[in-house]
Amino acid sequence: MAFLSVEHISKTFPGVRALDDVSVNFEKASVHALMGENGAGKSTLGKIIAGVYTADQGVIKIEGKEVKPTDPRSAQALGIALVHQELAFCPNMTVAENLLLGGFPTNAGFMDWGKLREKARALLHEIGADIDVDTPLAQLTTGQEQMVQIAGAVGVNARIIIFDEPTSSLSTNESEHLFELMGRLKAREVSMIYVSHRMDEIFQVCDTITVLRDGKHVATESVAQTSRDRLIRQMVGREVLMKRPKHLDQEPGEEILRVENLSSTGKFENVSFNVRRGEIVGMGGLVGAGRTEVATAIFGLDPRATGNIYIKGQKLLLGKVNESMRRRIALLPEDRKRAGLVLGMSIMDNVSLAHINHFSSMGFVDRGRELSEVEKLTKRLRVKAPSLETITAGLSGGNQQKVALAKWMVRDCDLLIVDEPTRGVDVGAKAEIYELLDEVACQGLAILMISSELPELLNLARRVVVLREGFVTGELPHEKFSQEAVLELMA
Amino acid sequence: MSSPKKSNFSFSKFPEGGLILVIIALGLLLAIFGGSVQLPKFETTPQGKRVRVFETNASGQKVPAFETVNKFFNARTIVQIAKDTSFFAIMAVGMTFVIITGGIDLSIGAIYALASVYGALVLSPYGPSGGAGATALGILVTIGVGTLLGFLNGAMITAFRVHPFIITLGTMAIYRGIAFVQTGGQSIGGFPEGFRQFVRWELLPDLSLVPLIVMIIVTVVGGIFLSQLSIGRKIYAVGGNEIASRYSGIRVGSVKLLTYTVSGLVAGIASVLSLGYYGAGSSGDGQGYELNVIAAAVVGGASLVGGKGTALGAFLGAVILQMISNGLVILNIPQNYSQIVIGAVVILAVLLDQFNATMAKRRLLAKASSIKKEVVRSTDPSVSLRPKTT
Repeated sequence: MAFLSVEHISKTFPGVRALDDVSVNFEKASVHALMGENGAGKSTLGKIIAGVYTADQGVIKIEGKEVKPTDPRSAQALGIALVHQELAFCPNMTVAENLLLGGFPTNAGFMDWGKLREKARALLHEIGADIDVDTPLAQLTTGQEQMVQIAGAVGVNARIIIFDEPTSSLSTNESEHLFELMGRLKAREVSMIYVSHRMDEIFQVCDTITVLRDGKHVATESVAQTSRDRLIRQMVGREVLMKRPKHLDQEPGEEILRVENLSSTGKFENVSFNVRRGEIVGMGGLVGAGRTEVATAIFGLDPRATGNIYIKGQKLLLGKVNESMRRRIALLPEDRKRAGLVLGMSIMDNVSLAHINHFSSMGFVDRGRELSEVEKLTKRLRVKAPSLETITAGLSGGNQQKVALAKWMVRDCDLLIVDEPTRGVDVGAKAEIYELLDEVACQGLAILMISSELPELLNLARRVVVLREGFVTGELPHEKFSQEAVLELMA
Repeated sequence: MSSPKKSNFSFSKFPEGGLILVIIALGLLLAIFGGSVQLPKFETTPQGKRVRVFETNASGQKVPAFETVNKFFNARTIVQIAKDTSFFAIMAVGMTFVIITGGIDLSIGAIYALASVYGALVLSPYGPSGGAGATALGILVTIGVGTLLGFLNGAMITAFRVHPFIITLGTMAIYRGIAFVQTGGQSIGGFPEGFRQFVRWELLPDLSLVPLIVMIIVTVVGGIFLSQLSIGRKIYAVGGNEIASRYSGIRVGSVKLLTYTVSGLVAGIASVLSLGYYGAGSSGDGQGYELNVIAAAVVGGASLVGGKGTALGAFLGAVILQMISNGLVILNIPQNYSQIVIGAVVILAVLLDQFNATMAKRRLLAKASSIKKEVVRSTDPSVSLRPKTT
């Protein structure tokens, strides 16, 4: 009998049936992957088990007994813990305080600081993490913060740990460390549920893989039984073929962007490269290499940036977003929820936001024109939503990204910078975004694409500029593309 | 995608509908339970003079006539409520601008006082015989001072990057302090008669409509500003997500500066009405008004988190609070209770708003589960997904 089982789980969110009669069994001492496109329901299933959401229908059983985790606390009491980036604790408190947040050791009502540190150290030692317990949480890297979360989970004797996209902002080293730790947890009979998009990781750390599609259970197979192609087929429900982007077959035109010795203290130094009309230039590097910082500096969001940027040969005034926008530069930011969208606003309001004056005469918004132009764009980008009035917070990751992208298609631009354009986006929408980027490049846009997904960079870009710790370490032309070559420049 | 053009009415699309219902309910309640009152009867002579009506009683004596009217539902009471509301409603519209951006203006009552004081200092020397020029100057100075003080708030908030609560908490004390220093705590009166007549102009006897008209104009202009102008959209965006607004090229600082300036402007407008209506300005004017104004905005649906609120809502919120306050008098409940009731109403309003939001979400859910889910899939089979390098 399975250690943990979910039976006939259904869950509906506004506009979406997130889970539809899903049943899965999870074994002890194993890592079970939940895979699927964004919006397939894998995260939702993890959160239901962890008590973050409550299922509309269905039961959860541990060792055959029905349990009802109604909130994260009651789930914790059942030995279920969730490791999730958005579940940060109190950033201003120290690691030790955060670890023992549920029950501070006290002495006659006073905090027992010595015991607090001692206990926290023991917890971190348990998982082999070397972190100073007196550091405020806000000063830790994402990877370290995750370690603290895991230590906390192990500390409450979690028998089931759910990892929700744990590596999405970890460096390669940190990821390796996490996988190693998962191996050790396995030895302690912990049952782990691993939610991720990343194919490589799944094959590296998981024993069993369950694929969900559109909220429905598609397959549960052991890693030995399956393969990448088989998984992708299961996830998208169709065969996918490789296609060479069209822009590679045309000669790039005049130089649109030239960056010369761009520096910003503590972020990047002496960065130089160029992007020509009709080509996609990739920018590779590890997290923290300074790629996003370079992009935001070009877009005018870094007031301390120095150096020269030329747009079509004309010098760009640095540090002014409006100036960059006037010179027809667009930026699709890395974190769409934080910087790309106003989540509480509708699709229409978001799409027209950056160019609201374009839709206005005498300061008045021309709703009719706004509606027709935004509708054209959302149709072109195949945004799926009940209406343009739909609040963007309720959309799937892929649709949110399309809305964030549509925002920059209202007016023609010369340079489009896309920062992790397919992060947290389902496979279907990914393909659509690739296709769109290729299409606009063919139409004569210059595109600078930042991505942590090497295959994406290598497939789509004509050239790749690689950054490491704020410096450009090299530039590879398409003929010399290989994962090894890029990795060598990155590390 | 279904067309958003066809809109079927629902409260989620017209959130102010609930406020209007509350106002109607309150009105009915007061009309029914308020009872009636005897008011002296007046009539207007052919010469346009108002005189009391006399009638002969049973014993042949001439006695003043009285008429029995509903205590709430009579023109005088309603105009009285409208006038009392106007000061708060006008300021609540401006406060809503600030609250939509996620800010707060605690100094609005102090701006009201200081603008009144400067207005009074300009008007007073002209004396009762002052002309139209003096009136115009007084109005200009009062509104100008209010606008300037609001602008200063906004400038400090954006330049120092300090939370607006702190800045306006400070300026609340500073502005009122300046008002006190300027006047030495004395009330300043003796304004041009023309000015007072202008503000107190009456359509019919006892029907003073200027504050009412100004309130409606401010609400309509504020409403158009927020809902129809592109700058209005930017105000909502800044409150909804400041970072995303910055990434969209919106000058966040300028937008915020504008909202605090608007807040000062409306306080100045309210000051003009108060000067004309009461005929004096003093440093103690509008003590504690900021809380009533914030309460009106919040009852009207503005969210302190930002991104939410309307001018019409602020206006209706002020009406509701004033109706309750005056209603307690009509219902013969001691005035002292009004603070307790109003405090409770503010909390209740926010709870109701939350409840409403939850219900709207539920309805959406129910709707979603009844719609067959569209199969979301790319239609182009030639698209590559498999990286060629692995």
